[in-house]
Amino acid sequence: MIRAIDIGLAACETCELVVRTGPDAGVCPRCGEPVHVRKRSARTRSWSFLSAAAILYIPANTLVMMKSDSISSHREDTVLSGIAFLWSEGSWPLAMLVFAASVVIPMVKIASLGVLLVTTGERSTKARHGRTLLYRVLEVAGHWSMLDVFVVALLAAVVQMGPFAKVDPGPAVLPFAGVVILTMLASSSFDPRAIWDRGKA
Amino acid sequence: MRELAICMYCDCVHERIDVPVRGVARCANCSRPLYHGNTDLGAMLAVTITATLAFTVANSFPLITLSSGGFQTEATLWRAITASYDQDLPAVAFALGVTLIFAPLLELGLLLWLLVPLYLQTRPPGFTKIMRLMHILRPWRMIEVFMLGVIVAVVKLSVLAETAPGWGLFGVAVMTLALASLASFDRGILWRRADEIAAR
Repeated sequence: MIRAIDIGLAACETCELVVRTGPDAGVCPRCGEPVHVRKRSARTRSWSFLSAAAILYIPANTLVMMKSDSISSHREDTVLSGIAFLWSEGSWPLAMLVFAASVVIPMVKIASLGVLLVTTGERSTKARHGRTLLYRVLEVAGHWSMLDVFVVALLAAVVQMGPFAKVDPGPAVLPFAGVVILTMLASSSFDPRAIWDRGKA
Repeated sequence: MRELAICMYCDCVHERIDVPVRGVARCANCSRPLYHGNTDLGAMLAVTITATLAFTVANSFPLITLSSGGFQTEATLWRAITASYDQDLPAVAFALGVTLIFAPLLELGLLLWLLVPLYLQTRPPGFTKIMRLMHILRPWRMIEVFMLGVIVAVVKLSVLAETAPGWGLFGVAVMTLALASLASFDRGILWRRADEIAAR
């Protein structure tokens, strides 16, 4: 394959115009955005967002996500206990769906972005196709983790029937949304072209 | 210079070729999508108008209605956002407001602002600025995730009380489909059309 960087070309990230890179080509002639051959400080930014997401992952999963009150009971659920409750009381396919979106996706996302960052740091040439595909999956799947935040917000909006039944969002909502947003920022800062850059000389 | 396309995933350079309307050009090296074949601005405008109408429906009617022992409540999109604010979680309300109302509304408004003049062969004011803004906004629209959230909420609530999906959910569903179909258009056509008009 011919890489753009080797023949002095680059695509503008905003408008995808192909421009010559040279000492003077800093700005896209069509949209006026700066053109970078590679995303700037991609690794540093990606590592920072990723570490912050990994730290927030702990309160997101240990704090209370949803408080529900009815005449006979008071429940405080974390993400996991909410899924267990949905499994036993509601429907198991839905429980699996929420489990995939809230638990599996964020965890897999944090782990695989870590793997991508480490392997590109070592300039590994192994499984380049696989790693590119992995990155694409991360990009597409990333925002689905917001599911539980939306569910809690909806339940809180609909279940406010005076003293009879009430649902309130718990303190985990904020760190949980934070994990989703930070992992999205971490994957968008990562430059997948680094996977294809030259191995150790 | 011949028309080139560079893969954003692996930096592989390709010569640009025409692809069929429903087709996608994929990178020869890593097989990630390069660009879509659908460049029909009229169809794009029609889908955008559909999405805008659906968004209006989604915001005007309840998503879920709940009845139990004489009580009846409804959840609208707006209530879902304000409920977090009422629980002293303004940051959550802000995030919900951005992803569910502000980002889609702005994206649809900006798309209409661009597509109507381009369709009528004039260059819309502020074209490049708006294209840049849309590029930044795109990842933060999460309406399809929200739709799944409404379905999960309906099932969770059905244990507690009589639950029925409302017309608002229908609006969200249509909007999700319309926005998904917008993703299958080649956005590059907007740039090329604007360039053509400017060159005349």
